[in-house]
This record gives sequence, structure tokens and C-alpha cells, in this order.
Amino acid sequence: MMALIALLLSIVLGIGSLAWGYLQVGLPDFARWIVFAGVLWLIAVWQRWRWFATIGLIFSFAAAALGLWFLNFTPGWMFAGAIGGLLAWDLTFFRERLRFVASDEERQGMEGRHLVRIAALALIGFLLASVAMAVKFQFNFQWAVLLAVVAILGVIQLIAWFRKRGS
Amino acid sequence: MSRAVLLGSLILILVLAGLATLRGAFVALSMPLLVYVLYGFWLSPDRIELQAQREIGAERVPVQTPVKIRVTITNMGPGLEELALQDALVAGLSITDGCNHHLISLARGGTFSFEYTVSGPRGSFPFEGIHIEGGDTLGLIRLPQNLPVGGQLFVLPDVTRVRQVYIRPRRTRAYAGTIPARVGGPGVEFFGVRDYEPGDSPRQINWRVSARHPENLYSNEYQQERVADVGIVLDGRERSNLFGGYSLFEHSVEAAGALADTFLAQGNRVGLLVYSQYVQWTLPGYGKLQRERILHALAGARTGASQVFDGLQYLPTRMFPSESQIVLVSPLVEDDYSTLIQLRARGYQVLVITPDPVSFEQAHLLRGRKGYGAADVELATRIVRMERRLMLGRLQRAGLQVVEWDVARPFEQAVRGSLRRQRQGTRR
Repeated sequence: MMALIALLLSIVLGIGSLAWGYLQVGLPDFARWIVFAGVLWLIAVWQRWRWFATIGLIFSFAAAALGLWFLNFTPGWMFAGAIGGLLAWDLTFFRERLRFVASDEERQGMEGRHLVRIAALALIGFLLASVAMAVKFQFNFQWAVLLAVVAILGVIQLIAWFRKRGS
Repeated sequence: MSRAVLLGSLILILVLAGLATLRGAFVALSMPLLVYVLYGFWLSPDRIELQAQREIGAERVPVQTPVKIRVTITNMGPGLEELALQDALVAGLSITDGCNHHLISLARGGTFSFEYTVSGPRGSFPFEGIHIEGGDTLGLIRLPQNLPVGGQLFVLPDVTRVRQVYIRPRRTRAYAGTIPARVGGPGVEFFGVRDYEPGDSPRQINWRVSARHPENLYSNEYQQERVADVGIVLDGRERSNLFGGYSLFEHSVEAAGALADTFLAQGNRVGLLVYSQYVQWTLPGYGKLQRERILHALAGARTGASQVFDGLQYLPTRMFPSESQIVLVSPLVEDDYSTLIQLRARGYQVLVITPDPVSFEQAHLLRGRKGYGAADVELATRIVRMERRLMLGRLQRAGLQVVEWDVARPFEQAVRGSLRRQRQGTRR
């Protein structure tokens, strides 16, 4: 039950943040479409369309990225919207896994632990994103090269890790 | 798509977009995803070392009897944040209580047990193993494994005891039993008269014959009763057992079980041959152990179609001792006639128990009419029944003992009259 409430809250707050951000810069039509997507997501939760959570996640990040790139919105609302989408996506799959928990006690324990963890992760993610935004003026070509190298190394590491797991 | 791959792709797209546009906002937006993925990877187990044990409440049970299954998992490796367990259930069994899959977190050295109850139809149900998936609490990484834990559940067919089955093979074995051996000696039934021998009881003397021949005394001789070799052939061919989606096979299995039980209880040496997609042979034997073997074979018996075993002509008769008793349990099809006659010609005594497919199919046709009326069914039934009676009559005239069983009646009740030992004089 806790997970369901958290899931609904994540969708409402995430979509609400995005819509509010768009509304603030005078784009009510965009805001309406975002709210419409949020309503669809809520219907998907009700209908147990688990696949929709992935679409919702991509939509949240796309909407936030669009806002941050083209329209120069207040980044806080966009980050909140994206993080809300991430949490909703996580909780959708978590609820699916929870079906296999046999006892109510264990279910409550797992729900509690998971919610605390993802809340902490969301907070840390939000803080890091805000810090990154604060240092955005120092972002220059050297930083870009460094990031590119880190990104490539990260991808290589990820592939190696998956291959190791696969074997 | 794996969840980790999806998030990794999103991060990569955002970082690349940031690099391409030289806007730090994209990189900043990827931070929550990065934190999420790194945390998931950090918590994911690098290996899984589990020990599993399965206890099955009973290994052999009657049909639809609940059986408790208890599974215990012990973690010998690092702690697992999330562990999904599923005790793979064999097709046919159904869970009546509890659950065979669980999601738990299991610390190092921890133990988790769960119980569930299953029941099922006749069959042999081997348990394959316990499927597990260990992973992080975010569900990003999953390490699947199959823990091989053996075990088998036999759901045995219901056995109805038939009080007496009268058979008379030409050859019997040396041990005393209940089957007339066509040899004079100690017994119950009158066999003949012979010269008196010193040591004969006065009660054995046939005074009537002795009076007719005053120069000598004559004694009655009785027929020895011994055990015999009995081979039960269970016909599992689809073409003879399936009628419009309904199967007579369960009834045939019931009959085979009842007969095997009765013959073994009488001390005979009994073997079973299931003739379906392939030939499954249970070697002949005596006693309770053999009863178990036959019931296990019957539990696993299935109907099947095969081009080779389409007709009874490939019945491996060499497996039956010559001149022994063969009991065929089969609904019979038209072309079985010649094979059965050949068996009889080779000296086997053949008893055919034939579940009546005509009544069986008629009942189902009348119950679920599909475009034809009761009159059509009645006419078709009459024609098929006449053909069948003709075939059974020819078999009887050839010296086979044929018992037709309307499966609407209990087996024991249906065959009681036909298989009982008949009085001297009425026996054929």
C-alpha cells in the first residue's frame, strides 16, 4: 500500500512539476499535454500496464531536457519532474516484484526499506544536479573532453561488466 | 530491454547531448540517473551461493490427494538484498494451498523455508529444480540460477479390488496358487479317478467306481491349483482410446490396476506392458514390490500415437512365457481382431477386457449435441454397436475370453459376473 501511495505521489508531483515549469514560462498548451500524459500514466497504474512506466520515464526526461535546452526554464522544476518520473518507474517495477512476497510483515519491511533508499537517492540526485547546474558557467571545452573520456570509459566498463555477468 | 541498459542508454544520450550542445544542463539532468545506477551496481551481489533442500510430504499418493512440499534455502555466500525463488511446478500439478514463489532478502548464513500444497491427477511428476534470481534492491541486476534439487511425486491410479478373476492358462508355474493346473493332485475340484495307492485317505476313495470294479479300489483325484504367469497389456494407442476429445484411457488404467492387484494377491507372477507411443515393459514379478512397480508404471502411462505401434501386430509376444495368460485391456479397433486370433493360435490364453467405447461416446454425444439430433446419434450407435458385437462374438468363438465393460458402471461391479470362477460343467 505504501508503495502504491508513493507511486501515485511520484507521478502527480513529477508531472505536476513539469507542467508547472512549462506554465510558468507561458506555455499552457504544453502544460496541458504534460498533464494529459500524467493522467494516462495514472490510468496505466490502475490498469497494470507496466510497460507504460518506461514510456513515462522517457517522456519525463525528454520533457525536462527540452525545457532545459530550448526554453531556459527554472531547472528545479525540470529536475523534480525527471526525478518524479524515475521514482514512478522504479516503484512500478518494485510493486510488480512485491507480488511475490508471501508475508505481510516482510512486504511492509521491504516497502519501507525501499522507499527510504529511493527517497535518499532522489535527494542526492537532485542535490548533485543542482550543484552541476551551479557550476555550469565553468563548463568549457576541457570539461567536455574530460566528460567524453569519462563517458567512453564508463561505456567500456559497462560492456565488460555485462559480458562478465553473462559468462 | 534490461532496466540497467535502459538507464545506461538514457545517461549516455544526456551526456552526449550535453557534449554536442556544450550545455551542462543535460549532464546535470543525468545525475539522478547516474546516482540510481551506481547505487544499484554497488548493491548487486557478485555471486550467489545457495543450498536448497526440498521435502515432499509423501512420494506416492492417490489421485487428487494434497501433498505438502517444504523448501529450505540456506545462503552460504554474501547477503542478498532481493532473492526471487520459484520452485518449478511440473505441468499437471496444481497448488491448493500456499505459494511456490517468493521474494525475500537473505543475509549471509540466513535460512528461509516455505511450504505449499499440491494435488494432481494420475501421473508421475519429477521436480526439476528451484529457479532463483538474486539481485540488488533496485532490480537493476539479476543473477539467475537453477538449484538442482531432485524429487518425484507419484500420483497412483485408484485401485479397486476385484474379488476373484478366473483365468485358466495352459501352463502354470510350480508354486501352489489358485489357478487350476490341469494336473491331478491335492486340490478342491474333481479331476479324475485313479487306482488306489497306499496312503490315500479313505475319504478319497470313490466307492461308487470301486463297487463297479470289485477287484480293485479307486481314489478320486483333484486338480492341482498353482500360480501362473500373467502378462497385462494396457492399450494406450490414441486411435483406440480417444473419442471426440474424450479419453477412455483412465478407465483402462483403472481396469489394469485392479486386475494386476488381484492377480498379484492370488500369488501369480504378473508383468505389465503399456502399448502406446512406445512399449513400456514392467518385468514380471511377485508380491507387493511388483504391485508397487506396476502402479508406478501405470502412474506414468500416457496415450500416444505412433506409426509403428498403430496396430497390435507389433505386440512383443516374446516377452510373455509361452502358453501363459495374456490380459489385454483395450477398447479395441477393427483391425485388432487378426492379432488377437494369432495370439490364441500361438497357445496363449487371452482375456480381453474392453471398455465399451460405444456407450462412452454415445453418452458424450448426447450430452453436448453439435448439430445432430438424438435420433442420429441413436442410429449411429446401433450401427457401430452391431459391428462391435460382431467382432467380439468372433473373438469369443475363437476361444478368447471377452469381457465388455460399460464404464458408466464401477469396474468391479461390471466384471463381477463375467470373471468369477464358474462351476464345473458351465465352464467353457
